[in-house]
Amino acid sequence: MINANIRTLSIGFLIAILVAVSAFPNGNGLPTGIADKNITETVIANGCTCHNTNTEMTSSVIVNLTLPANFTSGETYTIILNITGGPNDLVNGENRGGFFITASDGELAPTVNDTLVQKPFGFTHLTHTVDGNDYRGWTFEWTAPDKDDISVEFVAYGNSVNGGDGLQNDYWNKQAITLYGVNAVIEVETNKELSGPQKLIYAFAIIAVTLTVVVIGNRMVTKDQAFEEVLKGYWKSIYPWLTTTDHKYVGIMYICTGFGWFFIGGILGLLIRWQLMEPRIDGDFLTYEEYNSTFTMHGTTMIFMAAMPIIFGFANYLIPLQIGARDLAFPRLNALSYWLLPTGGIVIYMGYFTGGAGDVGWTGYTPYSSGDSATTPGTDFWVAGQIMLGASSTLTAINFLVTMLRMRAPGVTMMRLPLFAWSILITVFLLLLSIPVFTVALLLLMADRTFGTLYFNVEAGADPILWQHLFWYFGHPEVYIVILPAFGVLSEIITTFSRRPIFGYTSMVYAMATIGIISFIVYGHHMFTTGADPLFRFIVMLTTMLVAVPTGIKIFNWLATMTGGSIVLKTPMVFALGTVITFTIGGITGIVLASIPIDIALHDGYFVVAHFHYVLVGGTIFAFMGGVYYWYPKMTGKMMNEKLGLLHFAMSFIFFNAAFYPMHNVGLSGMPRRYATYDASLADMNEFISIAAMIFGLSQLIFVYNVLYSYKNGEEAGDDPWDGWSLEWTTSSPPPHNSFTEIPTLKVAEEETQ
Amino acid sequence: MSLIEDLIFFDNPSIWNNFGGTSSGFGGIVWQMFIWSVIVGLLVIAWLAYNLIYFRHNDGDPDPKDALKAGVFPHERGNTVIELTWTIAPLILVTWLTIISLAPLNYLWDVPEENETDLTVEVLAVQWQWIFEMPTNYTIPSEFTKCGGVDQDGNAMQNMAVTYNCLEIPHNSIIRFNINSEDVLHAFYIVEIGIKQDVVPNLQTLAWLDTGTVNPGEYNIYCAEMCGRSHSQMLAKLYITEMA
Repeated sequence: MINANIRTLSIGFLIAILVAVSAFPNGNGLPTGIADKNITETVIANGCTCHNTNTEMTSSVIVNLTLPANFTSGETYTIILNITGGPNDLVNGENRGGFFITASDGELAPTVNDTLVQKPFGFTHLTHTVDGNDYRGWTFEWTAPDKDDISVEFVAYGNSVNGGDGLQNDYWNKQAITLYGVNAVIEVETNKELSGPQKLIYAFAIIAVTLTVVVIGNRMVTKDQAFEEVLKGYWKSIYPWLTTTDHKYVGIMYICTGFGWFFIGGILGLLIRWQLMEPRIDGDFLTYEEYNSTFTMHGTTMIFMAAMPIIFGFANYLIPLQIGARDLAFPRLNALSYWLLPTGGIVIYMGYFTGGAGDVGWTGYTPYSSGDSATTPGTDFWVAGQIMLGASSTLTAINFLVTMLRMRAPGVTMMRLPLFAWSILITVFLLLLSIPVFTVALLLLMADRTFGTLYFNVEAGADPILWQHLFWYFGHPEVYIVILPAFGVLSEIITTFSRRPIFGYTSMVYAMATIGIISFIVYGHHMFTTGADPLFRFIVMLTTMLVAVPTGIKIFNWLATMTGGSIVLKTPMVFALGTVITFTIGGITGIVLASIPIDIALHDGYFVVAHFHYVLVGGTIFAFMGGVYYWYPKMTGKMMNEKLGLLHFAMSFIFFNAAFYPMHNVGLSGMPRRYATYDASLADMNEFISIAAMIFGLSQLIFVYNVLYSYKNGEEAGDDPWDGWSLEWTTSSPPPHNSFTEIPTLKVAEEETQ
Repeated sequence: MSLIEDLIFFDNPSIWNNFGGTSSGFGGIVWQMFIWSVIVGLLVIAWLAYNLIYFRHNDGDPDPKDALKAGVFPHERGNTVIELTWTIAPLILVTWLTIISLAPLNYLWDVPEENETDLTVEVLAVQWQWIFEMPTNYTIPSEFTKCGGVDQDGNAMQNMAVTYNCLEIPHNSIIRFNINSEDVLHAFYIVEIGIKQDVVPNLQTLAWLDTGTVNPGEYNIYCAEMCGRSHSQMLAKLYITEMA
């Protein structure tokens, strides 16, 4: 009742004020600040309604309040309030802005001799003065109360004033922030509305549960089974998968998990594109914080939980077959590696259920990631999950190294390994040398975040770019870890479908090894703008440029393999050739970015985004999709549907280029990556990109359908449907339980003909 | 020598101008990169198209004589001369691209000493705004009013020594930026001019700009390194104003 009275009273005041203010010609809101009792009460009750014709607050005005992380009793803190945005975002001209701030406890005061901020006599709030009316940022002081086990509520109002044409077209917004004392017990907010990604997760969960009920219910009715019997039936078919150590089963699980995460990461990517469909204001679709979480999870998912598992799935399945072994050297360790992957992934995604997933970018740069402003505990989950994925990769690397060095069948010498096997061998070397460094860095970061250590605390004297060195020492070999196996797949497919030996086998092996070695001395090219030692930056520019040489050798060797061959254009080959084109474009932009003066302008912009999507999607993902079409007959004994495959390729290739090629242009126009909004002049281009990206995403459903459809309806494949040479084609499709009925011997063409 | 000098002429960080050809034209590093990219890209695509047109397998073609057989390591194919050619040619190309990339670095990284500049601006980045501070001994010219307020009579007022999210600097001057961060990493990015320098806490970084090489007018300053919630709102305006 009292509230209602106050509201009526306030509306009365408001009307009185509106009448009073509108009586002045050319009124300018309140250039003198809010120093009157009635107006003060009105502002607290209704906001800066005297500044806006429709009296609503506008989210396009951003009121920024820079506060300390917490407070100690009696201490005095400097507080910065500034406002940006508003449809009339004037930078010059009179009457640009105004503010009003209250604190529920402690004492606000202007800084000494400040003519911009005033504390009206008899009040506890601060507001702008006549002079301060011409600014959009103000600094003042706040002395904390005597107790520090409480929280203090700051409420700031900011006006975006458009100059001096009266009250029309002024906009305002309000920002309330709770500041906790060092000893305060922080209460978790409850009943918060679900965020966008959370809604999506719940929607998928509801669909999944509904489907389960329908499927089980259907089975109970049609087969007249009890609920337990149905579950037992399912358990029987799931149990072998849960307990297997067979490389073929683990490999298929890896591939399915990888594509599953690829689907989730793809949805996150589409959320990013939906956000960027038009220049949005905070919370229009995703809030800026949710946007930061979205691109963080997109990057992390795609690299660590999609690309790498797909690669190691194929490696798991094929390496023992290609070297003529019955299984990996340590089958149980292999199963452990696999099970760490979905577990780590789930841990990383836990952030979504605890108030926001990690928002530090996939690179997790400190001191942002080690500081207080990153999401908690979302970022802690991100770190913990990444450590598990790192452990998984390290174990895998050891397993493959031992297998490939010790368990090759007779005749399979090092220089007679298929090129896919060679690419995996080099990859696991890189992995073993690089990923422990990242894991260690993550452990240090975890210690900083959780146990209060100071490894990355800049104020305590830590090196501010230490993390970047540790991260990119791993991070650059990592990008070759995901591209080298793709080279291996391309080599296999191109030689098989050209129906002749690969051109320059030896130089292909040396080229891959060279890329592997160089990958450790180029990582500084991610740090051209950091202010690192110029000599360091200069050296890594040289080495980065050198990567083009072995990569060029590989591309030219593939083309030379085709020249004079007898090219059969089936889906795997079409994917491989599409990859050659998109990867070449990505490789060329890589050289452009290696040049320091150009990189300085393009760094952290959309040109870089275009570049790495061309090499990671246009390189790795396209090559491995070709790989699925190529090895699916071996894994299932069925051929994939050729028409659907070609349709999938055409849609993917066209809309991939439509989505990512214009990103080069957007980047040259200066759009930075990781921006939740952008300059309105780029809206058309971004809308085009977003629509193309959506179609690219949707066209992947053809692929899913093809895989499921062909499993039931595909033609019988036979042992060697494509006429490949390597040992996996000598065993049956799918291979028997122990992969080979007897260990094969690799023959050599030269000796055969003699 | 003059031919080479013409080819690598590039002393202007405003590379977008160069891309448009206004200052150094086709000799600019951006043009060179662009031209070589197109040449290499077209070479690969053309060769691929040639292969697809002339070497397709048709029904009824006999098996090639070195066709692959399951379980048999194929014949080694290769040609040392050809392979050396496409090792050495890219090597020469990237060496050339490295050389032309080095030329501007002398200019970019040779930040003038504070006493050699016309103006040294202290740039401070905090989450999420830019604060620009003019040196104490610098007299702000009376025509600098873009970042100042407006007095009660509607006249533009002169800039203060400290400005927020707005910076006005003179044309035809050497400007040095001393860049510091209050909290996390940011990056000082003048969009249209292509200058980018990370803002690193506990480490002063430097950038500089000869405003004589660019036109007077309005430019955008962005933060280019992810710095938290309002990263995409950490924007500022840069005005380059001609002095009377």
